[in-house]
Amino acid sequence: MREILRTGIILFLICAVSAGLCGIVNSVTAPVIEENLIREREAALAVAAGEYTVGNEITVDTPEANVAYTIMDGDEAVGYVFELNASGYGGAMTIIASYYFDGELINAQLTTNSETPGLGKNAENSWYMDMFKGLGGDSPLPSSSADLSADDASAVSGATVTFTGVSTALRNGSELAKSLGGAV
Amino acid sequence: MSAHMKELTKGLFKENPTFIIMLGMCPTLGVSTQVSNALGMGLSVIFVLTFSNMAISALRKIIPDTIRIPSYIVIIASFVTIVEMVLHAYVPSVYAALGVYLPLIVVNCIILGRAEAFANKNTVLDSALDGIGMGVGFTMSLTLISLIREVFGSGTITLFAVGGFDGVIEIPGLHESPIGVLTLASGALLVMGYLKAFFQWKSARGQK
Repeated sequence: MREILRTGIILFLICAVSAGLCGIVNSVTAPVIEENLIREREAALAVAAGEYTVGNEITVDTPEANVAYTIMDGDEAVGYVFELNASGYGGAMTIIASYYFDGELINAQLTTNSETPGLGKNAENSWYMDMFKGLGGDSPLPSSSADLSADDASAVSGATVTFTGVSTALRNGSELAKSLGGAV
Repeated sequence: MSAHMKELTKGLFKENPTFIIMLGMCPTLGVSTQVSNALGMGLSVIFVLTFSNMAISALRKIIPDTIRIPSYIVIIASFVTIVEMVLHAYVPSVYAALGVYLPLIVVNCIILGRAEAFANKNTVLDSALDGIGMGVGFTMSLTLISLIREVFGSGTITLFAVGGFDGVIEIPGLHESPIGVLTLASGALLVMGYLKAFFQWKSARGQK
């Protein structure tokens, strides 16, 4: 009994010291990480909005999008930009994407992700999102790599889970833009 | 050579973790797509390996045999978490590039292997030297593999962006028509196989 207690206490102390150490480092790094994420999000919003400017924040009540803004062409609202949640091979991902009111994708960028370098991480490149641009309005967004051209399908092969995650999130965003339809 | 010096240098060539002991293959093959990833991963492993070796060596008489593996994992995981938070805050590009391989340092067999085979039997100083030597050996191997893969596979050398330099050196001739297979997983295995054969030949020749 004494031996078990002694072993338990030693393991507890190791865990407590380790957790304390991590806590101290976290208290220093957490604000910096938060700041980086905000800066990254703002930069990605501006990139996704492209030639348009980012307008006011709007509230959307859906688990598929975290934040939403209108995008403006001068004084006139032309669409939305969303931060969308997606699920990839390495877990949760976020995508910033802009749409016209009819659901047509203007631009998109993969931001937070833990995808495999060289495979799923390719989705961070602009050519990856070029596959989806202009779709979602009159012509539908691809739902699997079978809907792509041969060149595009071979570019995403090896990272099917990432592709499905990205295309699902973009389709959700397109539906969301349609459902809001310029009402806000 | 003094005994301490020997602990430091053995990891570089004689007991190189990648090419001789063949430990830590998963991150080696996974992150060796770019030189910058290899350097980021290597430096993280040097840090974790050195400090976990020192902590485990200092506690070797306190930790009972029955709970040594969970204790090692907790200690290693704490250092990995610290590295992860620091990289995320101050070098987000490296953090993003290493992705899932960074938390996986916890189960990198070089680190657990050195804890079990060396740190729990030796002094803190020797364990620290062993950690630095093995870590540097791992970094050198990883950089060598990634240099070959990136130069021939993409025709570039990616380092870190400093000031006006964007961090990418393009190699004329290779950049336009690279050997694409080297950037894929199969390319990693090919390069690893050839390098292993080379080191085997070299050490066999040295023994004669």
